[in-house]
This record gives sequence, structure tokens and C-alpha cells, in this order.
Amino acid sequence: MTRGRALILVALLAILGAVAWSVRPQDVSAAERVDRITSELRCVTCQGLSVRDSLAPSARQMQGLVAQRVSEGRTDDEIRAEFRASYGDWVLLSPSTSSWSGLIWLVPLAALAAGLAVALGRVRAAGAPSTLTPSPPEVAALRERVAREEALDLPHADGAE
Amino acid sequence: MPRWLRYSIVAGIAALVVVLMLSFRFDPRDIRAVTLNKPAAAFTAEKLDGTGTLSLGDYAGKVVVLNFFASWCPPCKVENPALIRVWERYRTSDVVLIGIVYNDSTASARAYVEANGVTWPTVQDADGRIAFAYGVRGPPETYFIGRDGILTARHIGEITEAALVAGIDALRAQAAR
Amino acid sequence: MNLTFADIGTGALRAALPLAIWGIGAAAYAVAKRDGRALASARWSALITFLLIVLAALAMVGALVTHDFSIAYVARNNALETPLFFTVISLWAALEGSILLWTAILAGATAYVAWRGTPALPRLATTALAVLMVMCAFFLLLVTTPAADPFVRSAIVPLNGSGPNPLLQNHPLMALHPPLLYLGYVLFSVPFAYAIASLILGEGGDRWLVATRRYALVSWALLGVGIVAGAWWSYAVLGWGGYWAWDPVENAAIMPWLVATAYLHSVMVEEKRRLLRSWNLSLVIATFALTILGTFLTRSGVVNSVHAFSLSAIGPLLLGYLVAIVVLSVGLLLWRLPMLRDSGTVGAPLSREAVFLFQNVIFVAATLTVLLGTLYPLIAEALSGAQLSIGRPYFDRVGVPLALALLFLMGIGPQLPWHGASRATLERQFTTPIVAAAGGALIAIATGLGGAFAVLTYALAAFVAATVVQEFARGIRARRALHGESGGAALANLLRRNGRRYGGYVVHLGIVLIAVAVATSESKTIEVERTVSTGERFDVAGYTVGYGGLRTVNEPQRDLVVADLTITGGGTEQRLHPAVAFFPNATQAIGSPGIAAGLRDDVYTILAAYDTTGQSWATIRVLVIPLVSWLWLGGAVVGLGAVIAALPQPKRREVTRPLAQASSATVGD
Repeated sequence: MTRGRALILVALLAILGAVAWSVRPQDVSAAERVDRITSELRCVTCQGLSVRDSLAPSARQMQGLVAQRVSEGRTDDEIRAEFRASYGDWVLLSPSTSSWSGLIWLVPLAALAAGLAVALGRVRAAGAPSTLTPSPPEVAALRERVAREEALDLPHADGAE
Repeated sequence: MPRWLRYSIVAGIAALVVVLMLSFRFDPRDIRAVTLNKPAAAFTAEKLDGTGTLSLGDYAGKVVVLNFFASWCPPCKVENPALIRVWERYRTSDVVLIGIVYNDSTASARAYVEANGVTWPTVQDADGRIAFAYGVRGPPETYFIGRDGILTARHIGEITEAALVAGIDALRAQAAR
Repeated sequence: MNLTFADIGTGALRAALPLAIWGIGAAAYAVAKRDGRALASARWSALITFLLIVLAALAMVGALVTHDFSIAYVARNNALETPLFFTVISLWAALEGSILLWTAILAGATAYVAWRGTPALPRLATTALAVLMVMCAFFLLLVTTPAADPFVRSAIVPLNGSGPNPLLQNHPLMALHPPLLYLGYVLFSVPFAYAIASLILGEGGDRWLVATRRYALVSWALLGVGIVAGAWWSYAVLGWGGYWAWDPVENAAIMPWLVATAYLHSVMVEEKRRLLRSWNLSLVIATFALTILGTFLTRSGVVNSVHAFSLSAIGPLLLGYLVAIVVLSVGLLLWRLPMLRDSGTVGAPLSREAVFLFQNVIFVAATLTVLLGTLYPLIAEALSGAQLSIGRPYFDRVGVPLALALLFLMGIGPQLPWHGASRATLERQFTTPIVAAAGGALIAIATGLGGAFAVLTYALAAFVAATVVQEFARGIRARRALHGESGGAALANLLRRNGRRYGGYVVHLGIVLIAVAVATSESKTIEVERTVSTGERFDVAGYTVGYGGLRTVNEPQRDLVVADLTITGGGTEQRLHPAVAFFPNATQAIGSPGIAAGLRDDVYTILAAYDTTGQSWATIRVLVIPLVSWLWLGGAVVGLGAVIAALPQPKRREVTRPLAQASSATVGD
């Protein structure tokens, strides 16, 4: 393996390791649980803010309620179900995957899939690479020409503008 | 571009336009109450005058009107005279009006009650549990519970005497179950 | 006769409408019959229409400044105590005024195209002019009918108006954000008009692209900077500590911007390799249609949002306009489709044009996701009566992976050659950036960033930054070797002579700054809320917050309850004054945050609650938000890069150094 490839491999492993480290299972504190739950509940007197972000009196009261329920040991789903029972599905800022509205989660995947299918269909593999190898002086001259052209920005067939 | 994609894009745009046209029928601020037509949530709360607790169950078999209010709420003050008149009219019958303090300190609520001539039973909903159970968004809101304990109607915002009377009479006409 | 502002305004608008309609006919006739006089007539009608609309706008400003409450718009959006600055910018504070501003900008662009045109493409330019005048006529129709007429008289003339919406008179940014946004929206009408013109005339080829390249770039940049300005306004004014909530109106602005970004890139594929013609036309049509859809969503009242304008009949009219545009453009496109077939194919999967194609797919998928997410509640209610919400959690969760994919493509795209790359090229180009990416990931871990997405953002940001630095280094080296320029001169010349390429790199750097800012601020913001009494201090993430008490401030248009805070940390001490403002005609108080901005951290303070009876205690919420300033910085860098890319190139000089001298230097990497 060349030095360059070894370096790339090491770098990729480092990135993988960093990502793995960042998703290691950690204990979630009660405050963090409350934050997470309230960020997914809609403030009922605001224009679309979450309970966590809002400073409205109703939101602060709800934050207190959620904190109470978390300290009582309820699960996230139970707390969300309680809110749904009082205010309807409208109060959940993120549609649950279990109902029909959960279909919305498929939209980005479907759009990407359709788009990639079309795109890959248009991308044709290039022909076999050339087997001719230029000599070093030729390579140097070619590189010099490339650099010169890049630096000068030779015109495209640009019309008037 | 493949033909299936072309047609689905045109179909998608057409569907979008249809949806946008239909959407004019709805007001995005009009959110339905989901707690209606279900048994009203039971609660027990401290009475505002400090004379003990009050439970919804104490009034089983009666028509119950719950009014959520607060001292910092201007429309609550506006609807108060209507509530007084209605209470005068129905207090001796099988109708009970309960005022529930929403997100307010006991001292401010007491001051409001005294200053505005609130004579019907009032309770403090300290942590908002009662309001939450009923799906209250903010005061003033009025809830009508039938003799069978089912929550039948909700009024958001300041309520008029006529609306109160209409709601109460409709429930009184129901036979108790 | 007593000429009031209302008379001037109404008269000007009602005179402009038939003039605009005349201009349509004159321009169409000029193209059909190649009549020079008709063309001159069309040009003059465009110019006079623009001047009349400007006159109407000035009349409205005059009416606002003189507090002429006989005009309903002034009565609703102005009061005697409104300060002059906010009075003037109330021109765009509400629906009718903002439509007037839109019309004025549209007429201005039309007049510019009419007079400057495109000398090499007279037929195309004149047809485009006709299309633009149709749009002007529609908007003039809006402002001369009750739907959006700004000069409607008040039924009863009040003694004092209601004043502007409190949120709109709390911060001077209100002067900047709407005009920038509207300029961005409206200027995109020009590429659209040219695209439609090329379809109508059946002129194949890419000439319309080249003619409108600068309009597209400028409108993209203005829209982008306008969106960042909006985020800044949300951050500094709305007082919830965030800058983007995926509110329907925010989505309405970002959708055309996403598609416009895709367009700017795929245009390069068409220029270099004459491919993707019909695709580019579709993108232009889609961008323009999305600007109208956005306008419709924010003004029709069908969605609930922070920005919701008052309901009016404008909703159905805008919807009708949108439908007409979509039907006509798609129809024209399908009619001319046989003429637009590509000659040739995209290269290998690892070629620049393929990367641009994938990037386009992701941008369009992202736009579709935002569109359906915003409309889903509407769709659900229209079809089944269900009432549900789609908010930040959804958009954040689907948006982040897409954004990371785009960052990745942003890094590899400019480094790959057209037609395809060999393995040796790949190794040469990407070794350093991949090592830089590893460095980014390690920095993320070292600074305590949580979550896989944040770590990946840092890695990809480093990756892209390294590729950009690599490109600049290469270019500077080449110029130094060939022209003997110093490093600084070489850099300046790169930017001047090859502005499109290197300006584009600067834009990418700006995006990298924004990505890092978002990842860091979302992941490492620390929030603390305390109820304190006067003299108390508490600590938040290395800063000490001292509470000095409350005081009341009475301004002519509002009353404020202000908390005095002292923030000590990092060797400095700053005073902040978060407040709660009460406006006479608003039921809810408006919070005003106190922000200590810094390059590393922003200390963001909110007066959450306070003792209304005695003002003895207050609840202060403090957020320490790292790197959020990089967001605004990144926006400025994006704007700078766009300016570099849009500037015309200087005349080319001949290279006079003999070849023998040049080849003795070491060139390349």
C-alpha cells in the first residue's frame, strides 16, 4: 500500500472512530428527557413554537407538568399520549410513525430514490482509460499548459452579457 | 426524463393545486377540542377561600359549568357580569358553576374574586393539571358537563349570558342517566 | 383642488395598469412584426409604468409620515407616536404595502430589461419584456382592486392609528430583511421571462441562459442574504433564542432558494457540455413558481405562521396566478420538449457533471420535503379532517442528513474533472482533504460536541475547507510561476480574472461557516433559568450573571419593563438589558432579548417572568450559544463570494513572457 493510501485509510478510520465515540450510549438525565419531550410538543398559545422554546405562561405550565411526569417515572410515549388525549394530534410537532400521518417520513426517501434512479440512468460509465503513458517531459509540459490556462481563464463561448 | 416521472410530476402539481383550493375552507387557528363527548376529567382541588377541597364528583347528577379564569386576563373581567347574572338565576337549581383559577397566584386570584363579586365556588389549579386534562389553551374558557358526567360543549373566549343560558338549558333538558 | 396622497397614489396606479397592458401588446407586436417603433413604445411604457409605481410608493410614504389616517392602511399600520424610522419602513409592514413594494421592484426590473436588454439577442429580450409586462399587469391589477389596494379609504377616520405590529417596530432590521427578500424573489422573474421567451420563440440553444446568468446569481445572492437576515431577525427580535423554526413563511423563502442553488450549478453543466437543457428550464420555472407559491402561502391565510398577514381576497387571486403560470410554462415546455433533447451523455459517476446531477437531485428532494412538510397539515385536513402539526423535529431530522450529503458533494464536485476522473487523480486531489476531515472530526470530539451529525459536520466542513484552500493554493502557485506575482497580487488576480470559479469557492467557504455554526450552536448551547432577586448572581457555563433589578421605561410608542444584568466572563464585563415591551394595541407583551455577541459565544438573556406587583423578583433565562455569530459571518461571506462571481471580468492582457522561461519553473503540485 502506498503512503498516500495508508494515510487515507487511517484518516477514514479516525473519522469512523470519532462518530462511534459520539454515539456511545450515555445516561440521559431527567432534565435532558424533559427537554427532549417538550421540544416535540407544540405550545398551544403560540404560532408553532415548541413548549421548550416558548416563554408563554401556558408553555411554562406544561413544562412543569412534563417534569412532574418524568419524575414519576412515566415513559416518553405515555407522556405524549397524555398530551394527545387533551389536545389532539395537533399538539405533537413530529407525526408519529404509527399513524397514517407517519407517511410523511417516507417523502424524503421516496424523492431521493426517484431522483437517484433517474440520475444514475443518465450517468454512463466512461470508456476504458487510455493505456498510453506520456514521458515525463511531456507530462511537465502538459501540466504547465493546464496551469497556465487555468490561471488565465480562457473564454467559453460566452455571448454578450 | 422518463415518461412515468413526467406524468407523476404533472399529476403531483395538479393534486397540489386541488389541495390549495380546498384549504380555503379551513381556518388554521380553529383547532377542534378532543376532550369533548368523553367523560369529563375528575379532579380534586383546594378551594380558593381556604375552606378545604372540592371534587368534581361532589356534583354527580348535576349540570356543571366550569369557567377557567385568571386575574391577569382582561376578557375574564368582561365576561364576569354575565357569569354573575347566570349564577343568580340558576344557583338554587341543579346547576353548579365552578370557577377554576388558571396559572395565577392565590393572592391575586383572591383579590380578583373579591373585587369582581365572584360568589360561586372557586378552586386553585396550582400546577395546571385540571386545565391540562380539559385541553385548555388559555383563559377564559367555559366547559359544559352534563348530568351523566360527559363533557358536551366548550366555549373559547369571553362568553355571553345568552350562550351560557343556552348551554345550561340544553343540558338540563337531558334526562339524567 | 386639494390633491391628497391618496389621490396621487390611486391615480398613479390606475394610470400604470393600462400602460402596462399597452406595453405587452407593443412588445409582442415588435417581436412579431420586427417593428422598431413598437419596441420603442414598449420601452417607454415600461419606464413610465415604473415611474408611476414609484410615485405611488412615495405617496404612501408621504401619507405615512404625515399620519394621514383617512387611508385605511395608514390607520392600521401607523400611529402618531410611531418613530419616523419605523413609520417610513411601514411601507412594507403589512399586506397591501408589501405588494406595492413587490410591484415596484418588478416594474424596475422590467424597465431595466427594457432599456438595457440583451443587444445580441433582440428578439429574445423583447419577448422576455412582453412576459415581464404581463406579470407587472397582474400585480398592478392586485393593487388597484380591493384585494390589495393600499389606498383604500378608512370608513371612519380615527384620531390615532393602531400603529404597526409590535414585532415590526422592535428592531431596525425590519428595514433590511423584507426589501432584500423581495429583491431576491422578484429578480428571479427575469431568468424566468427569458426562459419562457426562449420556449415561445422556439429558439433552441442556451443563449437565454447566458443572457440571464447574472440576474440569476444576483437574485440568488439577495434571496440567500435576505434569508440569513430573516434568521438574524428571528434571533434578535423574537426572543426565543433560536434562528430558524421551520415556520411556513421561512420555508416559503428557502424553497425557491434551494431550487435556485441547484439551477446555478446545473447551468454550468449546460454551458460546459450542452446537457440538461430541459432540466434547466424546469428548474427556472420551478424556482419562479415557488416564489409565487411562497407569496401565496404567507398572504392567503391558509397556514398559521408568525408572519401571517391579514386575510383578504388576495388568496384566490394569487392561487389563480400560480396555476396560470404553472399550466402555461409546463405546457410550453412539453410542447418544445422534442427540440430540447440532449446531445451526449453525462460522464462517469465520478465526474463533475455527475456530481452536479446528484447535487441537483438532493436539492430537489430537499425542496419537495420542505414543501410537503409545510403543506401536510393542509392536505390532511382537506382530505380527512384530521388536524396535525409538522414542526421543527421533523424538518431537523430529515434536513440534517440531506445537508451532510450536500456538504460532501460540495467538497468533491469542484475537485473532479469534467468527463471523469482516474484513480490517480482521486488520490492526488483528496488525500489532504480526507486527512483534514479526520482532523475536523477529532476537533469535534475534543471540544465536546455531541452527536454523530455534529461530528460529521465538522469532518465535512474541514474536508470542504481543505479542498477550497487546495484550489486557491494551486491557482496562486501557477500565477506566481507564470507571472512572477506576489502571493497577494496572485490571489487578487485569481478573484478578478476568474471570478466565477473562485467567487464560487468563497461562497462554499461561507456555507462551511454556516454549517459549523449551526452544528455547534445546536449541539452545545447551554440554557439555565433562574428566579433571582436584586443583587443575586448565578453562573452559566463560565459566565457570571448578576441581576441588578427591574425598571420601567416609557417610550412614545411602547412601555418597557427592563431587567439590568451584568455578564462577567472571559475577562470582560458587559451590561445587558432584556426587556418586555407593552404596546397599547397588543394584548400580549413582546419580549426583547439582551444579547452579548461574540466571536466565540453569544450570551443571550431573556426576561421570562417578573413580579408584576412589586418588581422584586425576576425569572431570567440565559443561553450561552457558541459560534452563532459565524452564521451571520458565513452569510456575509456567501454574499461576498456572489459579488466576486458576478463582477464582470477585466479585459484580458496578453501574456508576454516567453515559453522557455515559464517551463523552467515548477508547475502543478
